[in-house]
Amino acid sequence: MKIRLTVFFCIVLSIVACRKVQDWVPGENDDVFAGGVNTVFDEGGGAFTHEFDGMSSTDLLVHETGDALFEGTFVVGPAPIRPGLGPLYNNVSCSSCHVADGRGKAPMAGESLIGMLIRVSIPGENPHGGPLPAPGFGGQLQQRSIFGTVAEANVVVHYSDSVFTFPDGENVTLRKPIVQLNNSYTTLPSNILLSARVAPAVFGLGLLEAIPDHEIITYADEFDVNGDGISGRPNRVWDAIAQETRIGRFGWKAGNPSLLQQTAGAFNEDMGITSFVFPQENSLGQSQHDGNGDEPEVTDSLLHAVAFYMKTLSVPAPRNRDNAQVQEGKAIFTQIGCNSCHRVSMRTKTDVSFTYLSNQLIFPYTDLLLHDMGPSLADQRPDFIADGQEWRTAPLWGIGLTQIVNGHTNFLHDGRARNFQEAILWHGGEASQAVSRYISLSSTERNALLLFLKNL
Amino acid sequence: MKINYKLFFCIACILIVGCKKDSEPDPVLNSDLQETILSDISNHVVLATYNELRAKGVSLETMVENFVASPTTGGLVSCRQAWKDMRQEWELSEGFLYGPVSYLDIDPSIDTWPVNFSSLDSLLASSVVIDSAGMESLEFSLKGFHPLEYMLFGLDGNKSVTDFTARQFEYCQALAQYLKSQSEKVYHTWNPDVTGNYLFEINHPGQSNSVYSSRRAVFIEIVNALVGICDEVANGKIEEPLVNQDPSLEESPYSGNSIVDFTNNLKSVENIYFGKYSGDHFGLNELVRAYNTSLDNRIQQQLTVSIVSLQAITMPFGEAIIQIPLQLQQVQANINALKETLEQELLPLVQLHGE
Repeated sequence: MKIRLTVFFCIVLSIVACRKVQDWVPGENDDVFAGGVNTVFDEGGGAFTHEFDGMSSTDLLVHETGDALFEGTFVVGPAPIRPGLGPLYNNVSCSSCHVADGRGKAPMAGESLIGMLIRVSIPGENPHGGPLPAPGFGGQLQQRSIFGTVAEANVVVHYSDSVFTFPDGENVTLRKPIVQLNNSYTTLPSNILLSARVAPAVFGLGLLEAIPDHEIITYADEFDVNGDGISGRPNRVWDAIAQETRIGRFGWKAGNPSLLQQTAGAFNEDMGITSFVFPQENSLGQSQHDGNGDEPEVTDSLLHAVAFYMKTLSVPAPRNRDNAQVQEGKAIFTQIGCNSCHRVSMRTKTDVSFTYLSNQLIFPYTDLLLHDMGPSLADQRPDFIADGQEWRTAPLWGIGLTQIVNGHTNFLHDGRARNFQEAILWHGGEASQAVSRYISLSSTERNALLLFLKNL
Repeated sequence: MKINYKLFFCIACILIVGCKKDSEPDPVLNSDLQETILSDISNHVVLATYNELRAKGVSLETMVENFVASPTTGGLVSCRQAWKDMRQEWELSEGFLYGPVSYLDIDPSIDTWPVNFSSLDSLLASSVVIDSAGMESLEFSLKGFHPLEYMLFGLDGNKSVTDFTARQFEYCQALAQYLKSQSEKVYHTWNPDVTGNYLFEINHPGQSNSVYSSRRAVFIEIVNALVGICDEVANGKIEEPLVNQDPSLEESPYSGNSIVDFTNNLKSVENIYFGKYSGDHFGLNELVRAYNTSLDNRIQQQLTVSIVSLQAITMPFGEAIIQIPLQLQQVQANINALKETLEQELLPLVQLHGE
């Protein structure tokens, strides 16, 4: 009897001890699926470059066509392959700024711009309520030109440093860019407004576009009725395709209503390539204009293909979510109120015509609303209803992969922050309370929050 | 307390024997193996390839300098061969286009296509001094392999010495110097003697400031790059000219070197997989064999089939897309099959077993 009990006990113990830990089966609502079904588990240099899984062969072909155009270098026309560059431009391909579909880097002091551009305007509004173009320069400065043509100006960026000290004595040096325009081809307007912008990452944009307006408006609180100090509001911008005013979603100030218009705008302003959306060269009315009459330089179908390419780029999953420090950082993110603007989740609309994007619970960490970020971050250049201190909440999904994809950790609209901590410390205005709470955290708690961001 | 030794012994035996999984490599050996594989791939394939690239860059510059000093047909032939030799090393590096070569814009500086003929003509017609320093400010499509290819071979690949102008000589010199400097630059981004080198990142993952969180993450990066170059060759470099039946979409048309380019891209995959660029070292295959010999056999077989089917094309690619499209489609199918295996089987394997 004693032996039988011993054997029985051993069998039971061996079964229990050797049982594998129950395989983790995430639910649909698990935030590891940052992009819903369009989430990719890649933490390498190609993390931002994956198309949606399971697309039809037709959709895949359009995606790949757009991919080739996004990657490809444009040249001066007439030419058999990708003609239309210039005469004025910022860069020669989409991927030159959005390297590996990722984020542009701010130049070091005195370096030339590669992944950054300068928006310009003068005080006032255009007929649609948008920025008033600077006479002779338009809405964006092109610091490069095709051979034999004069660029609008040289851009030189310098930085002024200041030191912030935490209560525990830790010092952080913050740099603020000072943009200087030299050798302009004609006199710069004395009241010109400048806004430096780095190229944002381009994955997950289809999901952001699929968020219904009412989902965005639900979180707006323009007059801070609930008294929490946060008063987000959507931008209302001109839709050049629909010819009506709509909610803005894309760009650092949410100045664009759709991915197609954002794409067409980038072709036009960044590369000097005309399309059916913007059929006039960015140099129209200036001495650099070529007068070729070859518009539109990119066909409708190819323009749509590039927009479709970005629309169908998957979102990388967050990492190390079972790490205790990461979990602590995640809790702190909410405790100090980061999530008041960096809204953790949203749901896309139901769309039976394009099911990849339909009804997806996503975790973009943005509310797509404009918030006053205080005078330190202000560019003082209005963009539709966004005033000089307002910026759209930047999505944080995938942000921790910037180092591995793009070799840097420059954040914020002009890339001034060189890491997450600097980015947090630059927040002001509506984010002041959250930043105050961050400052009062212990260094261990701060590090936990930073580690959480690194793993998004 | 009386210890029941019999019970204790039984439990110990059952736990030791019962919990041991079959065919699982020893964890210590596995860790050492993974460390060795990453060290060998980064040192003996990546760094070695970039080292050879810069050596070929020096040769190319020398050949061009000699040709400019004394323009002869023999000198032009040497320049063309030197271009092809350097091109070979570059294409052999396209199986690992991650890290600084990507985010420091070295890839587009070296290998932008197409040639910007309009701007190139304007540049040559101008009096602007063309030298290596001035190359920095030129757009990507006016520097790198393809403008030099066009200069050395001509539009139809039959340029003669007498076709060269003084400005073209000047341009060729600047292009060769620039290519050499870029190859030096990419080498030093991996040079273990240079602070912040990427070789260190590959071999020291998982530390607080590491780019890679684990060896597993490095393996995933490596495999994704292999998938990426297979996709690029089959569905980009071959697909676009073939589908459009348009030789002008060929990437290296002036030298007629495209098939060699594609083959070297696949050899780049082979080098990473076998760790074999400079000598016989450990590659990914060692890890695969530890877990799945049939997968290893399949990858080897698909690599061979892909490379052999490419090498079977004896006519220039620009002609092949018109003359033998079905044969090219078979090449695409072979490479896509390899890509599928790498993506659907090798990637999950390193995700599962990478540390």
